[in-house]
Amino acid sequence: MNQPHANPDAVTAALEETRGGLARADYLCSEDVATAVFLALQLNKPVLIEGPPGVGKTELAHATARWLGRPLIRMQCYEGLDESKALYEWKYGKQLLYTQVLKDKLGDLMQGAQGLKESLARLHEFDDTFFAPEFLEPRPLLKALWAQHGAILLVDEIDKADQEFEAFLLEMLQDYQISIPELGTIKAKVPPICFLTSNNTRELGDALKRRCLHLHIPYPSLALEQQIISLKVPVLAAALREQVVSLVQALRKLDLKKAPAVSETIDWARTLVLLHASELEPGIVRRTLNVLLKFQDDIQLADTELTGLLAASLKPPHAR
Amino acid sequence: MSLVLGRFLQALRAAEVRVSSSEGMDAARAFAVLGLADRALLKRGLGQVLAKTTEDKLRFDDCFEQFFRSEDFAALESDLAAPVEPDFAAPAVETQLTGPRAEALETMLREGDRAGLQLALAQAAEAARVQEIRLFTQRGLYARRMLEAMGVVAVEQRMAAFRAAGDQASAAALQASLAQLREEVTAHVERQIVLLTANAGTRLREEILREVPLSRAEHSDFALMQTLVRKLARRLVALHSRRRRVDDRGRLDVRHTLRRNIQHDGLLFDIVWKQRRIDRPKVVAVCDVSGSVASMARFLLLFLYSVSEVLPKVRAFVFSAELAEVTTLFETLPVEDAVATTLKRHGWGSTDYGRALSQLREKVLDEIDHRTTVLILGDGRSNHGDPGHRDLHRIHERAGRVVWLNPEPRVFWNTGDSEMRRLSAACDQVESCRSLRQLETIINALMRMRT
Repeated sequence: MNQPHANPDAVTAALEETRGGLARADYLCSEDVATAVFLALQLNKPVLIEGPPGVGKTELAHATARWLGRPLIRMQCYEGLDESKALYEWKYGKQLLYTQVLKDKLGDLMQGAQGLKESLARLHEFDDTFFAPEFLEPRPLLKALWAQHGAILLVDEIDKADQEFEAFLLEMLQDYQISIPELGTIKAKVPPICFLTSNNTRELGDALKRRCLHLHIPYPSLALEQQIISLKVPVLAAALREQVVSLVQALRKLDLKKAPAVSETIDWARTLVLLHASELEPGIVRRTLNVLLKFQDDIQLADTELTGLLAASLKPPHAR
Repeated sequence: MSLVLGRFLQALRAAEVRVSSSEGMDAARAFAVLGLADRALLKRGLGQVLAKTTEDKLRFDDCFEQFFRSEDFAALESDLAAPVEPDFAAPAVETQLTGPRAEALETMLREGDRAGLQLALAQAAEAARVQEIRLFTQRGLYARRMLEAMGVVAVEQRMAAFRAAGDQASAAALQASLAQLREEVTAHVERQIVLLTANAGTRLREEILREVPLSRAEHSDFALMQTLVRKLARRLVALHSRRRRVDDRGRLDVRHTLRRNIQHDGLLFDIVWKQRRIDRPKVVAVCDVSGSVASMARFLLLFLYSVSEVLPKVRAFVFSAELAEVTTLFETLPVEDAVATTLKRHGWGSTDYGRALSQLREKVLDEIDHRTTVLILGDGRSNHGDPGHRDLHRIHERAGRVVWLNPEPRVFWNTGDSEMRRLSAACDQVESCRSLRQLETIINALMRMRT
């Protein structure tokens, strides 16, 4: 394990490739994120992503899928999620239908059988017909294992699922396999790349954390957020973009119930484009504040602070 | 796994970052993939593999900065490029007194070969097994061992020889560089102590504090006690917030089963079992803060505060003579201020259980129902006044459970003005609660209560 150590240039190049690839998939990321994706690909480990809502946790999985050209399989977690919705289900209807249709055939088969014992013996020859992969309805996890050329599996908001479900994911995350009693163990042809996201509404189990790389995505820095906005809303004028981003960054420092995330910055930038705003003036900001802030208390607080915030963000950057 | 990484994991564990062996293996793979060239990259990568919570991340960052200090990094790298397997079987100090290594050391000292010295230092640290150091008082011993492993004795002999031959200049030069080397070695050993034993003392003290009676805890331990109490409360809540529904195996829930199987033409494919809900209890906590239990009150309040932070429905009261609600105080102020303010406003009076309990009855009786747990923390010493057991009886009739925690050991109950006999008749559970460990056990049982 000790030697050989990776060629430093190759590592840097690979990281750049990861970043570039994600950027081509319209996802600009910090070095932390690039490292995590790179490691996930190298070590074949799932990534557990935490962070405030709206910083692009889910989007990272989407972008990785676009970059690698693999299908994204998304599983939204909620309380009460169980195997039959996450893993597989038998197609009861189809099984029933087939038994009905095959009734006549069954009669033919049984013809000439002497007594119950012989009939049963004959039936046993066909015993597993109805528990074959054809009658299996694959749910997200199984789909991810069956994907021919690998897939990106996104387990969204794992913290919303029950504790039992977490335990049930462990086999999947560690060995990329699942056990179906009737069929045996199904192993992935190509291990899927797994992303798990969590909003930290509850503490996740240690066992799950142990099996994952842990990535925390914070709110982006000023420079990164500017780049993101220029990528997502290219029509927004550069000067206005600077004002928008610095105002949002200032808002995040206020004591808000829910700070505006990147997704809200993007929405706001789009709103401003729609309204043909040429610069941030108090009137237009007040009217559109509800795009950024989702609680009345927050809006009121921001409203009172607005003059100061605007003055600060309208100043050219070198004056700050 | 590389030696350096192994040491680093050891240091991480000493810093209380929980690293399992499977994570260690992942770290080794990440280490091999990332290489040592880019320090920031290595830090990010290892951080993602090894540190899984915010607190762990902070500790990890500290530990990483200390362990892979920038100037050591180059030395580590050359160390890895030409790995030297240390001889663990025997330090073999004697063989190194003279011989090539001593010669080399002298040359390096004379020529000021920094990189060479760093490498030799790292190797000597291995040979002297500095990583086994546990106590601060051992640092002289280990420093000496390291120096001997580097071949210092021979160099000293050379120095003496120079002196004897009258070559004072060479002797002085050698002495100066030797002194510098000593300093570096000592610094290295001390850094190892900091890394490896950072938390050992704290852990030992925590272990003791758990068992020691709360009333006897030293003032100097308050800070540590505080973190302990919070740890305890957090663990209890983490433990219990998860299991809110438990299958009642073996009892069929007919209604749900039929409902769910309508899609299969009423054939019962899916079977639903009856479930029992385990509710987080509503808690009404009353804490005696009078003079007689003052030494304990601080911790009880601390615990109360921590619990009300994590459980949604806790109403907290304190009394010495008058009963006062401190729920809002707890909600608005940070813990130190809340506890201090409570004690200042309401503490240190003389106890009047009769008055306090009748006021409690007036204030909360309407809210108490079969899901409520009433938790009373106090010594039950009523100064020969009315113990208020009649009011407690009324509360007991309505409440799901009444638990009395008494900081005195059981043998002191019912002596002097203690009214525990009469009061305990109106309680479901009476416990002596003298240490954090007992407190934990009791609260644990409390939260598991089924309703």
